[in-house]
Amino acid sequence: MNTVKSNPFHFKVGLFVAFSLLLLGAFLVYLLHARGFFEDTYRLKLAAATADGVAPGVPLVFSGIEIGSVSALGLNDNGGIVINIELLERNAKWLKQSSTFTLDKPIVGGAKIRVDSPDLKANPLPDNSTMLLLTSDISKEIPVLVERVKAILANVEHLTRKDGEIVATLANVQTVTGRMTGEYGVLEGVLGSPEKAQALTDSLDKTRDLITRLDGLALKMDGMAAKTDTWLFAEDGMAAQTKASMIQVRAMLDDAQSSLKKADALMANAVEISSDVKEGTQDIARLRAEIDEAVRRANALVNEINKKWPFARDPEVKLP
Amino acid sequence: MNFLAASIESLGARFVGWFGVGYGLFAFAGRAALLLLDRSTWNRATYDVVIKQVYFTAVQILHVFLGYALVISWLLITIILSTAREFGLTEFATEMTIRVLVLELLPFLTALFIALRSGSAINTEVALMRVNNELDALAHCKVPPMQFEFLPRLIGGVISVVVLAALAGLLALLLAYLSIYGLTMAGFDAFTQTVAKIFDFRIVAGLVIKCALFGLAVTLIPVVSGLETPKKLFMVPVSVLRGMMRVFFAIVAIEVLSLALKYI
Repeated sequence: MNTVKSNPFHFKVGLFVAFSLLLLGAFLVYLLHARGFFEDTYRLKLAAATADGVAPGVPLVFSGIEIGSVSALGLNDNGGIVINIELLERNAKWLKQSSTFTLDKPIVGGAKIRVDSPDLKANPLPDNSTMLLLTSDISKEIPVLVERVKAILANVEHLTRKDGEIVATLANVQTVTGRMTGEYGVLEGVLGSPEKAQALTDSLDKTRDLITRLDGLALKMDGMAAKTDTWLFAEDGMAAQTKASMIQVRAMLDDAQSSLKKADALMANAVEISSDVKEGTQDIARLRAEIDEAVRRANALVNEINKKWPFARDPEVKLP
Repeated sequence: MNFLAASIESLGARFVGWFGVGYGLFAFAGRAALLLLDRSTWNRATYDVVIKQVYFTAVQILHVFLGYALVISWLLITIILSTAREFGLTEFATEMTIRVLVLELLPFLTALFIALRSGSAINTEVALMRVNNELDALAHCKVPPMQFEFLPRLIGGVISVVVLAALAGLLALLLAYLSIYGLTMAGFDAFTQTVAKIFDFRIVAGLVIKCALFGLAVTLIPVVSGLETPKKLFMVPVSVLRGMMRVFFAIVAIEVLSLALKYI
């Protein structure tokens, strides 16, 4: 036998076979371990109202990970469904006495039994115990959901019908916003037509002019009154002035009075013009009150002058 | 009328031909199996040829084959995983990977690999031995070719295909775990659960039998085809061609049969 010659073959093939056998043996042990050959099987019974969707092989899932599966199912004496579940001893620790079992039937994918163990410190579930199986069937909820959606859609349809309130409201909104985009903007939108908006703008402009003029007049009046004061009450003032000068002063004051009266009339006019503008009216009323006050004061001044200067009552000065 | 009769005749001839081939194959396999039971078969010389056959069929190409299995597995696992993620079916990716690769594709590809490399070589060798009258010479020297040439090749082929397919499957399992869970032990329990669910006794036995049949097909058919070669040198390529076609049909037939048994 030529063993020396065939040695390399033998060695390599032996290495190959030994290596492969080792790997396959390891895999076999792993497989036996995975299938629970080295540990006890834990059994669980679930009582259910219906076995719809449950069949042998349906997985028992804890936190998304399969820990066991349905081994058999059948009827008990009362017509109820008893589902037998088998799982490995190492996976049984997830089952607690407070665990709930729910049958999930998703739209996509097969049915599965979900275990929820809210309290992992609770007492473990003993072997061969019977628990209740709840059902959460999405496909059964769909018809109810569809009915509700249908009702909602009918309402929406009613609201948006051709002669409906929303359509009318939207039409009004369109009219108003259309006007607002016109020359007079929001005013046109509120008042309804460009003409009315024009009139309002015009009267506002007029009122503004009037108020400016009245302001100027009042300033002049104040200045005149101040000057008159200086004239009359200064130590080297008007005491020595002649009666003619005083008459001139008086004439001037009378003139002022008459022009104030004119302003008064003008003012009344202005108030009339801007009567439809509330704010403007209020301002003008206040201005008018001020002017009235000024006129009153001017009158009082004239009276005072008349009182203080007796010659005024008697224009003929009689010289001794 | 003549045409119809001619086509029926040709159909019948073809059928008889196929039947003859099938019968020849099974008769040869039967003789080989009977020989296995014979104590005189288990001698040192036969054993040496088996070792040689395993060396040339499996050990010599191991690195090439494992590299090829690695690339194919990695590609398919990546495709399956990305598709599963896209459709939100990640939980089925592990099972899908194992079923497609370990149970179906890798054994099939292993058989094709061995058929192309060793099957064709065996077919050519046997055909040449027959054309050169070596087989008759061996038989004349009381060295029955069945015992010392053919049976060791069959045994070597079966061992090679079974072991190579198993190694490729293990590699694919490892690769699948690494692709899905990465370099952690985090997914080990879930992976173990999936493996336990898939590999029940029926599946494992079916896988081993399928691989053994593949191994038999890629050696038995070339041997028989080589033995059928007319004693003319130019008939050798024709013999190899026919033999390889039959090997291919046989592999597909075994795969289809196994799938049908598993899922129907």
